[in-house]
Amino acid sequence: MVRQIIFAISLLITLAVFSWSAGRIMRYFRFTKSGYKPGNAGRRILLMMKVAFGQTKIFRRPVTGLLHALVFWGFCIIIFGSIEMVIDGLTGTEKVLKFLGPLHDFLMAAGDIFAVMVAVSVIVFLFRRIMMNIPRFEGREMKRRSHSDANISLSLILLLMISLIAMNTGYTGMKRLSGEEIAGVYPVSFFLSGLFPTFRAETFGIIHEASWWTHILLIFFFANYLPWSKHFHVFLSVPNVFLSRLDPPGRLTNMESITREVRLMMDPETAFAATSQDVMPERFGIKDAEDAGWKNYLDSLSCTECGRCTSVCPANITGKLLSPRKIMMDLRARMKEKGPLMIRNGRDYSDNRSLVRDYISEEELWACTTCNACTAECPVNIDQPSLIVDMRRYLVLEEASAPGGLKAVFSNIENNGAPWQYSAEDRLGWCDGLDFEVPVMADLHAADKKPEYLFWVGCAGAFDDRYRKVARAFATILNHLNISYAVLGREETCTGDPARRAGNEMLFQMQALQVIALFRSYGVEKIITICPHCYNTFRNEYPDLDGNFEVISYLGFIRRHIDEGRLVPVSAAGNGKCRVTYHDPCYLGRANGLYDDPRRILQKLGNNIAEMGRNRSRALCCGAGGAQMFKEAEKGEKEIFIERTEEALRTEASVIASACPFCMTMITDGLKYKNREDEVKNLDIAELVVQSLGL
Amino acid sequence: MKILVCISNVPDTTTKIRFTGENTSFDSSGVQWVINPWDELSLTRALELRDDPASGVKSVTVIHSGPASAEPTIRKALAIGADDAVRIDSPSGDAYSVAAGIAEVVRSEQYDIILCGVESSDYNGSMVGGMLAEFLEIPSVSGISELNVEGGNVTITRETDEGKEIVSVPLPFAGVVQKGIAKEPRIAAMRGIMMARSKQIRIYESGPEESLTGIKSFEKPPARDACKFIDADNPEQLIDLLQNEAKVI
Repeated sequence: MVRQIIFAISLLITLAVFSWSAGRIMRYFRFTKSGYKPGNAGRRILLMMKVAFGQTKIFRRPVTGLLHALVFWGFCIIIFGSIEMVIDGLTGTEKVLKFLGPLHDFLMAAGDIFAVMVAVSVIVFLFRRIMMNIPRFEGREMKRRSHSDANISLSLILLLMISLIAMNTGYTGMKRLSGEEIAGVYPVSFFLSGLFPTFRAETFGIIHEASWWTHILLIFFFANYLPWSKHFHVFLSVPNVFLSRLDPPGRLTNMESITREVRLMMDPETAFAATSQDVMPERFGIKDAEDAGWKNYLDSLSCTECGRCTSVCPANITGKLLSPRKIMMDLRARMKEKGPLMIRNGRDYSDNRSLVRDYISEEELWACTTCNACTAECPVNIDQPSLIVDMRRYLVLEEASAPGGLKAVFSNIENNGAPWQYSAEDRLGWCDGLDFEVPVMADLHAADKKPEYLFWVGCAGAFDDRYRKVARAFATILNHLNISYAVLGREETCTGDPARRAGNEMLFQMQALQVIALFRSYGVEKIITICPHCYNTFRNEYPDLDGNFEVISYLGFIRRHIDEGRLVPVSAAGNGKCRVTYHDPCYLGRANGLYDDPRRILQKLGNNIAEMGRNRSRALCCGAGGAQMFKEAEKGEKEIFIERTEEALRTEASVIASACPFCMTMITDGLKYKNREDEVKNLDIAELVVQSLGL
Repeated sequence: MKILVCISNVPDTTTKIRFTGENTSFDSSGVQWVINPWDELSLTRALELRDDPASGVKSVTVIHSGPASAEPTIRKALAIGADDAVRIDSPSGDAYSVAAGIAEVVRSEQYDIILCGVESSDYNGSMVGGMLAEFLEIPSVSGISELNVEGGNVTITRETDEGKEIVSVPLPFAGVVQKGIAKEPRIAAMRGIMMARSKQIRIYESGPEESLTGIKSFEKPPARDACKFIDADNPEQLIDLLQNEAKVI
């Protein structure tokens, strides 16, 4: 009875302290923004089973992945034993769940075996952290506290496992020697208890009792340590995966407050009408912890600082200040700092500090290429790029602050409809030198004709000397196939993508609504693009502004026509079988999952594909995404495009194939920088197809 | 202290220039109009001074002389941050009539610093600033590449052929501004854009003076001939072309 009372008191203390300390963290959710509304529970359950319970993303690094999965699965099994211990402790029973029969036997046996595997994994983890110099665990944001926190948690888990095995060993030894029935199966502990032939039943009994208390009290202590540690992730990672976004990572959320404003401005009736104060949101974008969405804050609490995001970040790899892990840690730290002040003094309280600048510098924010490598790598589906873009939105929309190159891009898009300073009247300049007419939408419309496809050329296809060749190559393919298509010519304008990724949501929406209105006026249904950024914007972002069209990447289009036998390669590109490596553009690959089409096309052309070390979802960005194309890179040790070009050159391919105008510019520059532009060609997939068709 | 920034409404630099009426007038159809780049930089510097409490500058007003079709450009200046805007309702005139009109407004509203860009990027007249100072009989400083105001004292850096000149000038004065006065033009913040939609643009009647000059006709510069590339290993061909085709040697 005394034992039960002591147990009940410790359990009560544990629960009380835990609710207090977890509540301290959770109560700050009330300051966050509601915006994000997760629906579709069915798909979420599948996602949770796969990513959280199946640990699929942690397996992106197979060895440490397996070790972590063993610890995770071990915890999932061992928890049943812990629940049984709590009931036993409260009611004075022994192995109360044994009525489950074979299931109980299985759970106990699995827990007994997992305890050893967890212990071994944790020892390896401790060895890696203490003895090996793993770069991923270092960084500007990794303070001594971060390291000791990890080591304390790991040591606690190790002690938990040792006490569990000792408890089971004591139990099996005690039961065996006293001839009583053993409830459950304990393969490891049964073997271990046999190793001590001199022990008596009482000795085993003492071992069992001592280990039982040690184990349960350690659990109580561990549970209460977690809310004070980055390992709060133990509780929040599964819900975080369940609540993570289901849409393609290339999609940025639409700012409704801006849509309202842009629609007012575009309507001549209301263009110069007064703005009513109640439609003004209190802040555009994220400046401080309370501007963040609840999901951003949940992300930050779920982060266990493993650094996988930072280790794949192109900016970080090349020595720039940005570290996606730090962004998450900073949000968490800032909320911890400001949360109590807001509780005391109200939500509007200012301590003259903010997340942007006092924690995260502008230099960090502008270094992001929005390549989505971090979120693709995160084992618990944290979404770092959206938070970064939301902070850029604050800088641009509230403070009109942006790097000089981007300000010029904003003016150019606003004044001449392209990120570069070119006249819209020259948009058909790329057609010069073609031996056929490229149909223009306005002409067809005037003749009362409607083409099946709109070929969206994009600003690079229209103005960039190198990419004009790609536009010509794809038009040649369309012409060869006798496709019913047209281009918009001088009516085409920027989709708004670079403006949106640079935080200028206003300009993005002005462009987007204008383009959507133009599409509607021509009754456009199907759009083919040669630019991944335009593709992503049409496909994932225009629907939020009621622009719903069938959007087709030229790669999918070419692949279909090759597969169906309408495009027949006569010779492999580049004179005979040549070695080709393919650079995945972020906005086709990670953003939209288009990995197979280009590879399939290259194979059909008869090329040998030599993959780079980092390919498909692990591909390194060229460095130009997220409007980086138009600004100076932040200070670092190396340019991203050089890092990527070097990787491509290591494949010893004679052709680097790409499928994006920005990647084309970057890799061509990289080849020039390495003085290899004579031997190694950087060609677009469309150009390779045209070559091999003999057109 | 009050600053007045004169802004011209000019075609965007990428505009294809065309003429109508047998080359007697500029064809403005389909043209995207913007704030003259030099004026945009003056405005940026004026706003930087206003935002710095030590300068003593309290407000920035923009002024434009031209028809109502220029209002979107004036609103852009308000969105970027100007406190107030004036439009002199007149058909586009020459520098003389524009400067006379602005001088009228300055006389009645009293500004301490009046800034003009060195020229407008369309007609490149480069006259309004100097004329304005003459009309108002106040000092004028040209070629300003730096403008600092602290507690009412103005220090100006001028670019000259020999180097730099640092000058001071009593108030009020008219300043003609070069590139370099601000690093890059300021862009509009969201709240600025929202506020600018409803701000009042004050209208003045057409200025007191008629234009003294008019345009008889326009002519485009002749198109440049295509560039010929000659292989570096073939100097004979170069000499041949220079001698027989270009006839310059």
